Amino acid sequence: MRRVAIVGYAQTQHQFDMQKTREDMVFEVVKEALSHAGITRGEVDTVVTASTDFLDGRTISSVFLSMAVGAYLKDESKTEEDGTSAAWYAFMRILSGVHDVALVEAHTQGSTFNPHQVSFYTLDPLFDRQIGVLNDVSAAAIQARMYMSSYGVSEEEIAMVSVKNLSNAAKNPFAQRRMPDLTVEEVLGSKLYYHPIRELMMSPISDGACALVLASEEKAKEITDTPVWIEGVGVCQDFYLRDRNLLELDSLRKAAKDAYEMAGIRDPYAELDVFEVSEKFAHEELMIYEALGLCRRGKGKVLLERGATEKGGEIPVNPSGGALAADPVCATGLVRMVEAAKQIRGEAGEYQIPGVRRALAHGQFGMCAQKNWVFILGGEG
Amino acid sequence: MPYLKEERPETLGVEGEWNIGAYTWKANRLLEEFVEGLKQRKLVGSLCFGCGKVIVPPRNLCGRCHRKMEGRVVVSDVGTVTCFIISPPIKRGKIKVLGMDPVEQGLIQEDEVIIPVFVKFDGADSNLGTLLIGADPKEVHIGMRVRAVWAKETRGELSDLEGVEPLR
Amino acid sequence: MMFRNVAIIGCGQTKHSSKRRDVSLPEMIEEAAWRAMEDAQVTPEEIDAIVVGNMQGFGGVAQPDQWIGDWIGAPGKPVMRIATGGTTGGSVGQGAIYAVASGMYDKVLAVAWEKHSDSKEPGATTGLLHVALANFFHAFNYGMNLKSLVATTVVGAAAGVAVYQAMFYMHRSGCRIEHFDMVAAKSRRNAAKNKYAHLQWPGCTPEDIAKTEMVAYPFRFGHICPASDGASAIVVAAEDIAKKKEDKAWVKGLASYSDEENQLMSESYGGVGILDASEQMGCRVSAMKAYRMAGITDPKREIDVAEIYQPFPSQELIFAERLGLFDEGKAWVALEEGEMEIDGRMPTDPSGGVLATNAIGSSALQRILEAALQVMGKAEEHQVPKEVRNAVAHGWGGVTNYTTVTVLGDSPR
Repeated sequence: MRRVAIVGYAQTQHQFDMQKTREDMVFEVVKEALSHAGITRGEVDTVVTASTDFLDGRTISSVFLSMAVGAYLKDESKTEEDGTSAAWYAFMRILSGVHDVALVEAHTQGSTFNPHQVSFYTLDPLFDRQIGVLNDVSAAAIQARMYMSSYGVSEEEIAMVSVKNLSNAAKNPFAQRRMPDLTVEEVLGSKLYYHPIRELMMSPISDGACALVLASEEKAKEITDTPVWIEGVGVCQDFYLRDRNLLELDSLRKAAKDAYEMAGIRDPYAELDVFEVSEKFAHEELMIYEALGLCRRGKGKVLLERGATEKGGEIPVNPSGGALAADPVCATGLVRMVEAAKQIRGEAGEYQIPGVRRALAHGQFGMCAQKNWVFILGGEG
Repeated sequence: MPYLKEERPETLGVEGEWNIGAYTWKANRLLEEFVEGLKQRKLVGSLCFGCGKVIVPPRNLCGRCHRKMEGRVVVSDVGTVTCFIISPPIKRGKIKVLGMDPVEQGLIQEDEVIIPVFVKFDGADSNLGTLLIGADPKEVHIGMRVRAVWAKETRGELSDLEGVEPLR
Repeated sequence: MMFRNVAIIGCGQTKHSSKRRDVSLPEMIEEAAWRAMEDAQVTPEEIDAIVVGNMQGFGGVAQPDQWIGDWIGAPGKPVMRIATGGTTGGSVGQGAIYAVASGMYDKVLAVAWEKHSDSKEPGATTGLLHVALANFFHAFNYGMNLKSLVATTVVGAAAGVAVYQAMFYMHRSGCRIEHFDMVAAKSRRNAAKNKYAHLQWPGCTPEDIAKTEMVAYPFRFGHICPASDGASAIVVAAEDIAKKKEDKAWVKGLASYSDEENQLMSESYGGVGILDASEQMGCRVSAMKAYRMAGITDPKREIDVAEIYQPFPSQELIFAERLGLFDEGKAWVALEEGEMEIDGRMPTDPSGGVLATNAIGSSALQRILEAALQVMGKAEEHQVPKEVRNAVAHGWGGVTNYTTVTVLGDSPR
């Protein structure tokens, strides 16, 4: 199998109600990613984008963007859901040998349409939608409750995730929620949606876009001296919300297992230097630790308490602030890939973790993380 | 119609509404420049400094060059029909636009024939979709020369350009 | 160039009709997926990954793969959802091909569907969602005349941009409305031989079509595709697996090049730089790339059958030329000479095509599926009566700017 590397990337400054059209936002981020890679549009073979029609408010939402993403007379396609899905597809397109350089782009302007409302429309229309109780937040609340009562986790412990991530985000100029002095009390004092989910325990509504340039080994070496290799990929979809055990992120566990296997990782705790995960809700991050094999079931809070996942800890998780700091829905996973790549290339500025060789990036989509994508990225040497 | 038909049993149908709700789309301000031109009875287009193409109404990006279309030019109000459609006489209750019947709304007379045309105004590299006014449907042809018809009083709106008429 | 050979080893589709009220959405999708897996003689457990797609919002469910996944064996597997408008099915099929070609997965299931009848609105565009609606609202803010909206959209409402496209094509090729009658009649007749097709009319003649009401010149009611309920699925496998199967269609080339959007406007109601809507440069480039990959230098001679995405008869002619199967502006001449019939020199849409069956999200996958059936010799009644060495499958969508071209053959590259 040929090797594929990330050779360039860019993201917008994520914020609510960005004063920029979708077209301009996408155009600028793509231009920036190309210039970061130091290539022109002419050198791109294929373009894969990710967005969701409901969030964009248009049927076939990619059509009016094909010029902005630079897909004019290029081999293109569009996956839906998270940007990591587009990265996965672009990766496969390069692996196939048909293409050498791929541009990946994902975006959402949450200010166009409330993303939480869209989640309701993904439900089974014959049953769950008729009942009208579930949406992504209430489902997450059910999951959080199950997790808390099964493993004896307190609200304070969940709030600590928000404190860690949002204070990390203070150093990240691209993040939306930057809260250097946030306390557990402030998190627990924020607006309650569905108990125990509070405003600062769920991801914000953001406008944002992200773009990546991927290249085959030969091309990557021509383009850059510091390629970030995609060493492993794992993808997995879970059962529909009603049919699965919400206490476990089984599909993430499976996706991570596949990605570790591909990258030859036996002990993720020891072999990976930094983790960028899409925790749409604070409690999810604890469950993600477990599914990624960083600790045993129910022990996520121990990692957090020990400070292992802090910026200075053994396995820093979300030094950028993660999804809690900014969540431009379809772009969120792709932003995690960019942040992981930045750590490997030493471009993370104030939130740089020293000596990162290998990193994990995670994207998710669907209620209670029904779908998960895991990428293992690695630097040279 | 003599189409083949196959009978099948029916399942239970579940009724449900799909209220998508309101969107707030973000849009650029190029149409402002366009209608400002219309007010002065001018057709403003955008010019790409990469390939020299002129697009009317102005567009934001040139996909060919992958750059912003930064130039602005005024194109001629005389142009050529590149495509046309002759509607059948429009009947009440036959069509709906945004949930309304245009005949009932008085936008179109009963039995009116409308002729939407694409016009490539001289100096532009794009088609503008508009209406052909005051022409006999029999004389319409691709390549027909036409001139813009302006509203009596231009107010800086898209409707300032009422359509085009044959150039005689 | 593609590193490893990939073949389609199983095909499954549902019966298409205007209302499949006998099944729910997941049941309908399941029907096609299981037929494909049965045809490929693989179990759901053996499938490594799944690629799915339909038009977003049609049928009233967002990201329906999350809900219907359980019916097609998706839990525990990688699932990619692709949606590119009319080309969705073609993009889904190509997604599965790339997934196998990448070496990451050996057996991939591609499923695409549409269930129009779940929505009460005509054309199944649910509620407010529309490709260009945001642009229209924008134009209203600048005093767009409603009559212009009527003009630019309503005359073409049934047929959209296809009307303009047909006018451009007629002007430059000399093709006439009678030729559209012939294409439509051919599609209805061919469909009558295809047990899964929707609009089946045995012995339909161009005169029958000519009797139907004129909707928007040059299209008559008989020229227009139906809105169908249905699903299609294929199983794609790696070379070593495919070699052991009796029936397979090898993937020889694929491409999906995007053109500039050319449905009257770009984002925020700007103009577009395409003067001729029937130019379809994206299709021409896609075809060139796919043929080059397949080692085909003269498609007129080397392609034996074509499955073209043609919701309107003009498109069968336009795209047949764009796919390099006929000389520029001469497809209608070949049609007159019977070359496009099932037993002709270059049969196009022996299945009846999209004109006969249009479950939008699935239509372009169905083209790949039907082309595969022709290569395998399993198309039953609508099998073309000659040896099929190479077949081309086409998909078209977006706002006329997306194209997928897939070349299948009876031997690996």
